[in-house]
Amino acid sequence: MNKSLSLVALLLGMSCPSWAQNAAVDSLNADDSSDFSFSESQLDDDNDASQAVSSLLSSASDPFLSEVGYRFSPMRFKVRAYDNMYEQTYLNGLMMNDLELGRFSYGLIGGMNDATRNQEGAAGFEHNNFSLAGIGGATNINVRASQFAAGNKITLSGTNRNYVLRGMYTYATGLMENGWAFAGTIGYRWAKEGVIEGTFYNSFSYLLSAEKKFNDQHSLSLVTFGSPTERAQQGASTEEAYWLANSHYYNPYWGYQDGKKRNSRVVRDYSPTAILTWDWTPDQYKKLTTSVGAKYSMYSTTALGWNGDAYDPRPDYYKNLPSSVFDVYDLDKNNPEYLKDNPYLVDQWNDLYDFWKESKANRQVNWDRMYYVNSVQNLAGDETLYYQERRHNDQFTLNLNSTWNHTLDQFNKYTLGVQLNHTVGMHYKTMQDLLGGEFYYDYDKFSANDYGHGSAEHPTEAANDLRDPYKRIYQGDKFGYDYDILVNKAKLWGQWNYNRGKWNLMGAAYGEGTTIERDGKMQNGRAPENSYGKSGAAKFMGGGAKAIIAFRPFANHRIKVGLSWDSQAPLARNAFVAPRMQNNFVNNLTLEDIFSGELSWSFRFGNLSGKVTGYYTKFMNQVEQTAFYNDQESRFTYLTMTGIDKVHYGFEGALVYQVNSALSFNILASIGDAKYVNNPNAQVNYEGMNAATNAQLNKWENPVTGQAESLRVIAKDVKVGSTPLTALSLGANYNINNWYLELDVNYYNRVYVGYSAYRRLSNIINNYTGTSVDGMVSFNVDESQLKQDGGILFDPDGNVMKTYTPKLEKYDGGFMVDASIGRYIRLNGGKAISINLQFQNMLNNRNLRTGGFEQNRDDLYSTGVARAYKFSMNSKYYYANAFNAFLNVNYRF
Amino acid sequence: MKTKYLYLIMAGLLTLTSCMDDWDKPNTDDYSVTSRTAIGEPTTTIDSLKREYSSTFKQNNSFVKIEEDIILEGVILANDKGGNLYQTLVLGQVMNDTTIGTFIDPCTCIQLAIKNTCLYPYFKIGQMVRVNLNGLYIGCYSKMPKIGQPYFTSSGNLRLGPMLMELCKTNIQLIGKPADYKDMVRPLLLTASDEFFTKASSYQNYSNVPAFVTIEGGVFADADDKAILAPYELHDAGYGVDRVLKVGNTEMTVRTSTQNDVSFLVMPKKPVRLTGILSYYDGWQLQLRSVDDMEVME
Repeated sequence: MNKSLSLVALLLGMSCPSWAQNAAVDSLNADDSSDFSFSESQLDDDNDASQAVSSLLSSASDPFLSEVGYRFSPMRFKVRAYDNMYEQTYLNGLMMNDLELGRFSYGLIGGMNDATRNQEGAAGFEHNNFSLAGIGGATNINVRASQFAAGNKITLSGTNRNYVLRGMYTYATGLMENGWAFAGTIGYRWAKEGVIEGTFYNSFSYLLSAEKKFNDQHSLSLVTFGSPTERAQQGASTEEAYWLANSHYYNPYWGYQDGKKRNSRVVRDYSPTAILTWDWTPDQYKKLTTSVGAKYSMYSTTALGWNGDAYDPRPDYYKNLPSSVFDVYDLDKNNPEYLKDNPYLVDQWNDLYDFWKESKANRQVNWDRMYYVNSVQNLAGDETLYYQERRHNDQFTLNLNSTWNHTLDQFNKYTLGVQLNHTVGMHYKTMQDLLGGEFYYDYDKFSANDYGHGSAEHPTEAANDLRDPYKRIYQGDKFGYDYDILVNKAKLWGQWNYNRGKWNLMGAAYGEGTTIERDGKMQNGRAPENSYGKSGAAKFMGGGAKAIIAFRPFANHRIKVGLSWDSQAPLARNAFVAPRMQNNFVNNLTLEDIFSGELSWSFRFGNLSGKVTGYYTKFMNQVEQTAFYNDQESRFTYLTMTGIDKVHYGFEGALVYQVNSALSFNILASIGDAKYVNNPNAQVNYEGMNAATNAQLNKWENPVTGQAESLRVIAKDVKVGSTPLTALSLGANYNINNWYLELDVNYYNRVYVGYSAYRRLSNIINNYTGTSVDGMVSFNVDESQLKQDGGILFDPDGNVMKTYTPKLEKYDGGFMVDASIGRYIRLNGGKAISINLQFQNMLNNRNLRTGGFEQNRDDLYSTGVARAYKFSMNSKYYYANAFNAFLNVNYRF
Repeated sequence: MKTKYLYLIMAGLLTLTSCMDDWDKPNTDDYSVTSRTAIGEPTTTIDSLKREYSSTFKQNNSFVKIEEDIILEGVILANDKGGNLYQTLVLGQVMNDTTIGTFIDPCTCIQLAIKNTCLYPYFKIGQMVRVNLNGLYIGCYSKMPKIGQPYFTSSGNLRLGPMLMELCKTNIQLIGKPADYKDMVRPLLLTASDEFFTKASSYQNYSNVPAFVTIEGGVFADADDKAILAPYELHDAGYGVDRVLKVGNTEMTVRTSTQNDVSFLVMPKKPVRLTGILSYYDGWQLQLRSVDDMEVME
């Protein structure tokens, strides 16, 4: 025990040794001054593809959910297109979704696969003993030491994905006679260069678990784990850039420095966590599980920063691309006659094309150029123009879950639970690398363009911190922004389950209270009165209820109906109008409501079994925020939408035909729709602007009456993007003599690009006023154009008649074939070797887009004249990995 | 025993997990965005070029493509360091006079426009550059003689704009160091009594502009010791603001781009000494290079 406790203490205090010298100063975090958007799911993008999907891997009772998580993972499939925040993940009964983003970060348990296999999953309309599952279901990972299989296990893996090599070692004592059980795992994942050029992977992981079973009633478990990781990222780019680079896996984030590949976006992630669990079992019908946990998450990512006047260093910046020369999508221009009359257009297009094709270095980050520019600045005694910043999103969480299960009799049981969570999110950035420069002045360079820095009329606006305005920043210093988000949540819940004869009924309800508060550590010059100190807490009282009725009309058939209603606090990350600079809450911040219902039929006809489910979910009064560098306005921009209504509906099903004990075939299908059904309110805030200027930019005037209208995003009919709304799979399994063969043919379609709310703002989209003739209102625009470019139609009295959102790009569908072969070899003495080789995307389909996003810029200058470059035609995309393999060998002894 | 192994394995793995993102400063002493090899000897001068293509330079917004190796030299008199000149360098001609010696003629100049928002680290004041015009265009933007490439403005007009930055690698060569000529970068001093103002029309032609000048004794018509040169809300289609400067009996324009340090300069009531690039449209027009180009005269 002493040895184990010392090991626990060692690991709790341990971090990646190579960063230890920086950790106290820099630590870690994320967001961007380029085209970063919170809604573009950086968390998802950061995770391994296999982890960016549903966590419901072990919902054994659901043949659909138990399969889709892995099988559709290459396309980043999300069950019912729900955001991952609706899936709850528990460790030893402790809720681990974070309160700011709502999601569980799989990086938390990365590289601990052998230690986290013991999972219990439950769909949204399914009873479980550890939680009141949300609409996306819940998974509980049991890492109690006594639950590990006793013995040693070594796993070695080789692959051509994000990492190349993985090694894991797990040892567990099992429950010993003295009531103790110990288990531990360590792992390491590594790639000097991953499958995407310019990326690397460097991740250590550990988990230690100790448990003491005092008697039949009481046991205490302590587990601690962490996965210090450093990895480089891949960036999305436009189809034009992919074409020029001749690869859909072109990565614009890296460039050569001294002949080596240096990535501008490097994530450091380490979240040491400890969970203490007390299990009390008074008798065989009652059980109380109480877990308390603490987590200190250090997450950061680097990004290039540049002074207001410096040229954008991104290699795929639109002005570097050939299509910035003239509108190549306009056939009036892109034709031989026009180009013959305007040969300079062809010349410049060719010059840029040649530059991109001439060498790989030309289409990557030019580190030497940034270093050179900064060296010139040094000689003049000026500040650095280019730098690499580290954006930290650290978080401290203290939480408690306690769950009481009581089986009253053979028909009735109930569960009661309490959940408490205190979270402090710490958001700031530090100077990672001055790139050869000597210092940097801490004021908002974009704001200085609007207000000057220290100008007579606006002496303080550009300052990021009035308490020390315009201070010099050196490597490791905090600058730009620094604030905490404090979230507290308390939840009480209960569920009752009745199971008798053909009927199974379940009812559940909960109530919860949430407070959200910002604590500013800097006094921002654009918001001097409401940036430093605490914002005051916004309080939300929510709750919900769920009912499930299941009926078994015949043997092997079950029909289930489930209905639920939730009213939940908005996410803390969406609650503030411009969190990096000020304390103001978003206008119209209210509880978010969710109605969900499903009808399912589970069946078995001889060798054919399956389940089909129809579902409908409506989200109401939702809040979403995107934050991005706005090229158009040269400002970091927040766009918050409130009052969002969305619906998700469709059906999903699984069929399994067992030919014999060795061979089976299966079909999986998910066909649904997920879309916005209204035009939500919008609030835009430019970080570099003061309140008065921002108020001007939020204006939208009625074109007829001239009256001010509430700014909106024309989002109605926009599809939820970056997940296939159609996913089908036909699979075959053959198991014989400890050989396991699987072949899956998967088809994906209806993946939509992530939409830009900015391009759909009602004061950016075209407004049309109708004319009335004989009572009929007509407009000087074709409906086809409206459907393409979007528009708002006003009648002659100034009433909005109809809105059209700009056309949203749907990606081409396609097939992906996966296969695996495995062999289990039982050795003497209870030892065993297991070998598995997986092949993914065997057809090497390199054209399947998994996600992407529209650029937050429109196609017109402020003069109304069309730009040469068409942002609307140049979304940025991610592609599914090409053919890849994964070899896994483990030895149990 | 097994715990010992665990310790050992962990220690080994921790050693492996050293930081992979650790970089030393590269040597960029020889870095250049321009050609690293000779692009040829000069075949013309700014003055000769203007005379040879006078028919082009005499027209507003006209331009012509050069399709032969015409190589000229000039010294950079102005760049975009102050943020007021956008994608623009001004080259002045080096002259050799038997009595004065070598000097840079501030009135024999031409603009060289390059598509990049931050040219000054690569093109410092005093740097001599050699430009091969082959493949580039010469002409006028409005009435300003210029080297560049055509483009469509935000108003949709076809104009002579900046050349692609990428072409610097083939068409431009740096000659020597900025220090070689920096001390010779001197503006032409103009006062109200100078013929530039008293006989303005005879000086307002392509051969005299752009000119690098200092104008002494001018007074801003709108000066109140509060108003700034270029408030954003006053900008025109070119994102600039024109301010009237009275120089004796002559009214000229000080044109300033919005959203840069120069634009926030307060217009003093007192006479000023202004240095910048002189051009003309309806009348003389001056663009300051940086905030140091305005001095209040006591």
